[in-house]
Amino acid sequence: MDNIIELSGVTKRFGSVVAVNQLSLAVPRGSIYGFIGPNGSGKTTTIRMIMKIMYPDSGSLIVNGQGDTYERLHNVGYLPEERGLYKKMKIGELLQFHGELNNGTELGKWIDYWLERLELKAYKEKKVETLSKGMRQKLQFIATILHQPELIILDEPFSGLDPVNADLLKDIILELQKKGATIIFSTHDMAMAERMCDYIFMIYRGKKVLDGTLENIQDQYGNDTLRIQSDLGVEALRGMKGIENVNNFGKLQEMRLEEGVDAQKILAELLKRARISKFEITKPSLNDIFIRIASPERKEAGNE
Amino acid sequence: MNKIWTLFKREYRAAVRTKSFIISLLLVPIMMGGGFAAMIIMEKNKDTDDKHFVVIDHSGLMEEQLKEALEVRNTEEIFHSRTGEQIDAAFIVEFMEPDLQDPAGQQLALSNRVESQELHAFIEIGPDILHPAGEGKEAYLKYYSQHSFADDIRYWFQNVVNNSLREMRAAELNLEEAQAQDLLWWIEVEGMGLFSVDEKTGEALEAERTNELQTFFVPYILLILMFMFVMMSAIPQLSSVMEEKSEKIAEVLLGTITPFQFMMGKVMGGIGVSLTIAAIYVLSGVFTLKYIGMESLIPVDVLPWFFIFTVLFVLMVGSGMAALGATCNDNKDAQSLTFPGILPAIIPLFLIAPVIADPTGPLATTMAFIPPFTPTIMVMRMASSVTIPMWQPVVGLLGVIIYTIFTVWIGARVFRTAILIQGQKPTLATLYKYAFRG
Repeated sequence: MDNIIELSGVTKRFGSVVAVNQLSLAVPRGSIYGFIGPNGSGKTTTIRMIMKIMYPDSGSLIVNGQGDTYERLHNVGYLPEERGLYKKMKIGELLQFHGELNNGTELGKWIDYWLERLELKAYKEKKVETLSKGMRQKLQFIATILHQPELIILDEPFSGLDPVNADLLKDIILELQKKGATIIFSTHDMAMAERMCDYIFMIYRGKKVLDGTLENIQDQYGNDTLRIQSDLGVEALRGMKGIENVNNFGKLQEMRLEEGVDAQKILAELLKRARISKFEITKPSLNDIFIRIASPERKEAGNE
Repeated sequence: MNKIWTLFKREYRAAVRTKSFIISLLLVPIMMGGGFAAMIIMEKNKDTDDKHFVVIDHSGLMEEQLKEALEVRNTEEIFHSRTGEQIDAAFIVEFMEPDLQDPAGQQLALSNRVESQELHAFIEIGPDILHPAGEGKEAYLKYYSQHSFADDIRYWFQNVVNNSLREMRAAELNLEEAQAQDLLWWIEVEGMGLFSVDEKTGEALEAERTNELQTFFVPYILLILMFMFVMMSAIPQLSSVMEEKSEKIAEVLLGTITPFQFMMGKVMGGIGVSLTIAAIYVLSGVFTLKYIGMESLIPVDVLPWFFIFTVLFVLMVGSGMAALGATCNDNKDAQSLTFPGILPAIIPLFLIAPVIADPTGPLATTMAFIPPFTPTIMVMRMASSVTIPMWQPVVGLLGVIIYTIFTVWIGARVFRTAILIQGQKPTLATLYKYAFRG
């Protein structure tokens, strides 16, 4: 498969802290690749190294077929985690500036198109400082994609957006993928990652702990999750052996089967205790997998 | 190069469109011209109220002379020769006998009258002023007033008394008037340039009298202009870069451009701003001087050097300031780093007097070859009335070019490393680390 990004054994240290440890990764062209991981796990550092803003201490990094050269950033759009815009510039001027820096073409046409699309047209002649936080985020997103890049890297693009705008952004990202762009985005929104990403990569304490399609990842964990609805709710599970990590959603309870426990035995026990309206044996959600890896009491989990 | 150009355009527009730019553009000439304007206004609104004095003449020689001079002053000198309007104060003098019994009491009483503003001042003339030479002679002219140091009126009395004394001494020697004038004639030295040959005709050219304005005014103005350009375009780089770092704009831009392009775009913007101000000031200066018929003051041969050195000076200081700005995290860091960054612009200000007094002396020559000071000092020397050897600005320029390349290189390395590092204090050790180890 044609990979747009290839990382091989990349390590980055800050003093004695190893921020990224022997990371290898291949991002197929045309895919949506989700970067997940707890805060401070190395997502942004990895992205910054891809963007040549930081330099790896060891390992190799190839973007668009090019190694350690600024040429590799041609045709890349980058939305950093912390947004930064010149406050005193007018919106139209600011987009023109970013478009020119990225060697964009037909900028006038695209600026009008995207401002219209993201409902910012009325602000074109206004200064950036007059915009709300969410609007600035949309503006920065436009600045990122204005030059029609092949590779779009978005560091937490949905943070701070209301559900309507988050949905709008999601639709645009999917649309850009359809047109051939490769999209990498980091997020803490697991549901969004599950729904959008072709591939998911999780980094924890600088190390890769998950990498693959959602299906592949879930397969690694097997059908060890139960979802139950009963007339007694969570009370039906009190003192039950063979289950752990009960997550009570009120009308529905989600839990994990302990290793080697047969789900049928649990069902039989439950039927003695309450009237069961739903009993589902399923794979863990991405959110659950994330928590299993990253929650403090399960530091040993994952591939470490 | 395209990216530097795009960044340059943004920086340039951002700088020249601000109100503070327009205000400083107007304010500096107003401040520089303000002093002259104040002097003219003061001259026009001179105090013309009568001024009262008491003179105690211990010599007994001066009363007549002073009365004559006062008569001339109060009836002629204080009126405008054409309009007849009174332009200066009349002096009313009361002659008082010295109180030999209680001189201190007399002085104190007169002091009180000065303090109550009944008198402007009182004057004591010593007994031996006609023949002051010899031991134990009391020859003095004392002027007592509330601000005797700054009171220019005392010179009027000094002139009248001394001129009268000279005439009296000539009369005692039975000299004719012409002889007396010969005796007292004082010849002043005239500062002249050198003889030279006209390059076109080959004819010898007479030496010209040194123009004092040219000697001081032109180098002074050029230095102040260069100082101003650096203050308006290079120094603000520090806070501007610091702001881009703290507002995270730097990271957005560094996803698109290299740190070197980033820094150069900013510094080039600064150079553009300087050249704009330089063009405005130099052109308006040239037109003004032509208009008032003083075009000989325009240092035509120095102006190209002035522009070249200005560009390099702003580039040199600007890249240093941008690099220092990248190491700052807050205003406190910025304040502590502004001073060392600004030194190449400030030190030459302290050297104006010695450099203009002796442009080819060891101090001026040495300083002109130390690259951070070359632009200012060399231009000052070139604009003075002294001709300096042509090799000096050429060698100075080479030195500045090499030094500027070095500062831009170091600046870019510091900038590249420091721009994304948060919370690290900019110390000499960290700067060295950023510059040489990355």
